[in-house]
Order: sequence, then structure tokens, then C-alpha cells
Amino acid sequence: MMKRPFFGIATPKLKYDVIEDVQPEPVSVQPKQRVTLFIEKAYDRADKTLIKKGDAVARGQRLQLFDEDPAAYALSPVSGVISEISPFIGMMEKQMTAVVIDTESDREDDRDTAFKKVSGTPSIEDAARFLGRLPGKPDFTQFTDADRTVKTIAVLGADRDLQAITGQYIIKSGISSVKTGIDILRKITGVQNIVLVVAQHQVQVAGTAAAGVRSVDAHYPSAHPEMIIRHLLAEQAEQGQIAFLTAEAVAGIGAAYNTGELPLEKLITVVKKDGTRQLVTAPVGTHAADILGAVNEQVENGDRLIMGGPMTGDAVYSLEHPVEPDTDAIMVQDKEAIVEGTDTPCTNCGECVRICPANIPVNELVRLLDAGEYEQAAEQAALFSCIECGLCAYVCESRIPIFQFIRLAKHAVKRMRAAEEANA
Amino acid sequence: MPNPTKLTVSHAPFLHDGSEISNKQYNIIAATLLAVIAGLLQYGIPALGVLTLSVGSAMAWELLMNLLTRRPVSIGDGNAALIGLLFAMLLPAVVPWWLVVTGTFVAVVIGKQIYGGIGGNPFNPVVVAYAILMISWPMFLDFNAALVDYQFDFTAGFPLVLYKAYGTAGLESFSPGGLLLGQQAGGIGATFGLGLIIGGIYLILRGFIRWEIAVSFLAGIFITALCFNLYNPEVYAGPVFHILTGYALIGAFFLAPEDSSSPVHFTPMLIYGLLGGFLTVLIRNLGAHVDGVIYAILIINLVHPIIDKIRPKAMRRVMHHA
Repeated sequence: MMKRPFFGIATPKLKYDVIEDVQPEPVSVQPKQRVTLFIEKAYDRADKTLIKKGDAVARGQRLQLFDEDPAAYALSPVSGVISEISPFIGMMEKQMTAVVIDTESDREDDRDTAFKKVSGTPSIEDAARFLGRLPGKPDFTQFTDADRTVKTIAVLGADRDLQAITGQYIIKSGISSVKTGIDILRKITGVQNIVLVVAQHQVQVAGTAAAGVRSVDAHYPSAHPEMIIRHLLAEQAEQGQIAFLTAEAVAGIGAAYNTGELPLEKLITVVKKDGTRQLVTAPVGTHAADILGAVNEQVENGDRLIMGGPMTGDAVYSLEHPVEPDTDAIMVQDKEAIVEGTDTPCTNCGECVRICPANIPVNELVRLLDAGEYEQAAEQAALFSCIECGLCAYVCESRIPIFQFIRLAKHAVKRMRAAEEANA
Repeated sequence: MPNPTKLTVSHAPFLHDGSEISNKQYNIIAATLLAVIAGLLQYGIPALGVLTLSVGSAMAWELLMNLLTRRPVSIGDGNAALIGLLFAMLLPAVVPWWLVVTGTFVAVVIGKQIYGGIGGNPFNPVVVAYAILMISWPMFLDFNAALVDYQFDFTAGFPLVLYKAYGTAGLESFSPGGLLLGQQAGGIGATFGLGLIIGGIYLILRGFIRWEIAVSFLAGIFITALCFNLYNPEVYAGPVFHILTGYALIGAFFLAPEDSSSPVHFTPMLIYGLLGGFLTVLIRNLGAHVDGVIYAILIINLVHPIIDKIRPKAMRRVMHHA
């Protein structure tokens, strides 16, 4: 599946993995000693914060960083003590704050009740306040943003990246909780048209969820939201009318309102070096090392640890990297299996152009990006049409890291435009 | 942690389909072999000399340029060898050694390296070299003169010269089957039509050349030649003759589809190929030159960036935020 076919006349197709009929129960992993949570907000050690080092926190407690920004928060998945708050820089200079919590086993039953108090009367404000960091990371700003009128909610039960089966497992084993979540969603958002998007082989199961069902085909990247809008929901596809939530997030919303307890265990597909899969549940914030230890996967110097899938995930530099609310997969790649990028120029073979799902003239784009002409790339070579699927770099004969070029260029252009606006 | 594991970090995607430049070049070299071996059997040791000198000198020029421009040594990717090989395939079996070395110099240095190496050349390096040589020393590239010492069991005159001189009347001794099997004078690797077609089909099936270009190039020749032929069959030869003689087949499968100098979008590829075939026949039938393939390819190389602008519109993003 991974290699160029011998007869290469047709464009190669990457297929999503299909969940086995008999899938063993996920292994439950608990963090050893500590968890790390990311809050999407820049932080300086001199800042005055609402949470402080040494604070005791309860399971499910909302950890808000600054008084004036209620959207920047995390949910503590454990009971323990905050041992560190530090700035953290993610992909493309994303400014975040890392909060480390040392777990305390003697306070295991210590639960935060703030959500329970409001869970009797579901509302979008409370959901945004408490449920935005549930596993699956439901983005409630889609509904609270004043510029948008959402008319359709697409619940994504198919996996976006290759090799992961997280979404499929949720549909397979938890369709009733997804249904509960969909009912709640209708109530709190007022949006009646909800469609469940699943892989073809799960259409029957999904039919029980009291929502419209659409199926995506087996070829990557058909489960990408942009492709779903284009192919399945084109008639409703006006700017911003469709909101996306993952099935896991919807199931989580349902469970939260049903029980008053926040579900904080993330379902993760662990892909081992030998390509085998193992489903794992672990609290958000659990370090990769704890999870890999629990499934007996050894990581050595030179290997690659990927949070997310093989096409769009992020390689991280530390085994202490935590599971985030939207980490559907953790993948370990043996150092022997790593294909290095090169600085060989583009030979204009056109493979990228033929495989690009967004019809971008990638050959032209890559020349402009190579020359640093980012603005021109945005104007003439459809830089911002890119849906970031990674296929161009996957087929590149010169092994140019095209995807990285594109991310970098988008980031640079956005920063330039923001600076221009600020100075205008 | 005292001794943390050092992980490899890079950007997604973390999979690759395994394709590489060298693999493609070596496969194209392999695809030429049938035609090359047939040429060697026909012309013997002198042809072998030309071939090896051409491949060797092309690689030497590449290495020299790598060292001069202080860039990574790239002779391992097979592109220089392929340039040398294709160049030799166009040459008559008997040419002076300095002509071969000059030709590969033009191809590798002027045709490719001064633009920054592989991927930068606006024209097919082989075609550039052959065109310059054809203008500079036409007497050495005249097949009738170069191959005068050979005894053939078929008409020894270069078919296109006979055609130019006598019209269809000069072609009575040629049969399509004979032409296909290489019973004609011509370049070392350009006469065995069947071998070139098999090699070309291999490359198309493996996806190493773009079928659109090869097929439309041949279609361009076929349609244009047919029109001329229907207009006046006494003067203008039929399409099969045009396809099986001169550089038509090697041009369609090995010269026109060169990556860097050809378009990548579907419609432009068809236009590019059709235009090349059209110009080839136009030059052969109406122009001053004997074979039109070389100039036709130079011209379509020239227009390729413009026609490659004809392309589907990029998808409009509909998501609210990036």
C-alpha cells in the first residue's frame, strides 16, 4: 500500500484502513506520575495567572489561564498538584502554555463539580465553557462566532488520516452515545440538520443514530472536511454554514450531559513500528512514554514519534509529549523506515499535480516557494487552496518536503498580512 | 530525564511512495536498450564507440560542472548518462570523436547545467545539442554521407532525404514492416521502430513518461500527414511512413516527454504533443529541413510554459477558517 505501484500509469491511491470485525477492547492506560496539558495561549513567566504552581486541582477541573480570556483553558484529567507552568511553542510558532500536573493517587476520587451544577440545563455557553477540551476537541466557536450561521452539523465518524481507526471504533462500539450527543447538540445549537459522515462499511451501523448518514469512499483524503463539503454537502456549502465535530466529541458531549461527569479518556490508535495497531484509552495529557510503555513498544535513538497520523501528524522531539484532545493516533516509525527529504530541485514530473485533490499547480507553487515568493504563490499558484493532505510530498520523486514548504509559506503570508493590518 | 531518547523530527508526511529520480532515469535507459542493441547489431563496433564515448563524456561533463559549481555530485542519478545515451542514439554510427564530445558538452553544460541542473532546463538538452550540431556541422550528420561505407541489404539512402528529393516516388522500396524492423538508414538507436515502441509502452505503463504527450505527438504526426496525403498522395507520403522514419518514434517516446521541458496538466500535454507532431510533418513536407522532429520539439519546449497555464481552477476553500 505504501509504495508506488509497479504499473504507475494510473494515479496511486492511498486507502484508509478498515477496522477489523473483531476488535479487542482498548487497553486502558493511566498516567504515571504526571500529565501535561496545553492551553492555546501565549504565556510569559511574569504573567499573573489564575492558576499557580502548587495549586491542588481536582479531576475535571477547568484550568483557565487568564481572567480576561475564558476560551484559553484546559480540563484537568486527574487529581493532583500543578508542578509547572511554562511557555511551549508548537508547530509553526504556535504559542501555547504547558501545564504539568503531578498526580496524587490518594486523591483519586476528588472530582470537580462545577459542570455537574449546570448540566441539568444544557446550553451552548456552558458547553463552550466546559466541553471544548473533551476528547475529540469540539470547536464550539463554530456556533458562537457571530459572523457564522451554521445550518448543518457534520459529525465525522470516519478517520481523517491513514492507519487510525479511532473514529471507526467510536461508531462501531459507541453509536448509542453518539446518538445521545446528537440529540443534545440539536437542543443546544438549534441546528436540526445533522449528518453523520462515516466510512462506507459503517453506513448500516450509523443509520441508527437518528441523523442523516453520508459515506466517504476509501481513498485518502476523502474524509477531509474540505473534501466532504465538496463532494457530499456541496448544496449546503456556503461560507461557514457547515460545522464539523468528531464523533468522539459528540459522544463525549452526550455522556457529559447524561452523567454530569466530564469524560476525559481519549481513544487513541497506537501504530507500532511493525505496522500493527492497538487501541488505547488514556486521559488527555498522558505522556506518549506511558502509553508506549503500556503496549510494550520500544523507542530507540533515531526513531520517529508521531502524534497524529502518517500524512498530517506532527513528529515530536520528546517521549514526554502528551496526548492532546485531538490526538487520534500515535505512531512510532523505525529509523530504518524513515525516508529523508532532499534539496534536489523539482524535475517537473507532475506527479503532485495529478494527485492533488485541490487542483493546485504544485509544480509552479513549489518553484515560487523555493524562491521565497510567498505573496506571489498566494496570488498565482493557489497557495491557500491547499487542504494540507500531504499527498504531494508523498509522491514527490525529488523528495522535496513540499507540505512543509506550503505550511511555512501560509504561516509567513498570514503573519505578513497580520502585520500589514496592524500597521494600516 | 538524564539521557532522553533522541528522536528524528521532521515534517509530515511520514510516508513516501519510494519513487526517486535515479530509478526513473535507469528505467528509461533500460527502455532504450532494445533499440540500442538493434542499432549495435546493424552498425557494429563504430556505433558502440560512439555510444560509449557519448555516455562517458556526458557523465564527465556533469561531474566537471558539479565540481566547478560546487554542487553535490549528481552523476549517480543517471540523468547525464541518459542524456549521453539519447544523444548517441540520434547520431550516425560513424562520426568524429570530437563531434560526440562537443555534442555532450552542449547537452549537459549548455542544455542543462547552466540552468542549475536537473529540472531547470527549459529545452530538452539532447535536442538542443543535436540542433546546434546540425547547424554547425551538417555534413557529419548527413546519414547518406556518414554511412557510405556500410553495405545494407535494404535501400541505403536515408528515407527522409529520398522523400525530400523525389516525393513518394522515392519511397517505393520501403515497406512499413521493414521500416518497423529497422530496415532503414538512420541514427544508431532511432531506426528500430518496434524496439522504440516496446520501450515507449513499457515507460507509459510504468508511469515514467506521460502517455498523453507520446500519444498526442504521434497523433499529431498521423493526422497532419494524413491531411497532406489526402490532399495530394503523389507528393505527400502517408502517415505510417512519417511515423516510422527519422526521429518520429524516438522523439515521441524519449525526447518530447522529457520532464522538465514539457507540461504536466492534461489539456496542455495534448496540445503540446499535437503541436509537436503537426510541426514535424509541416517541416518535413514544406520546410527546408530533412527531419522536422528536432526543431518541432525545440518549438514546443519553448511554448510549454505558456500552454501549461491552461489548467483546472484550483479548489475554492469553503471552510470558514484555515
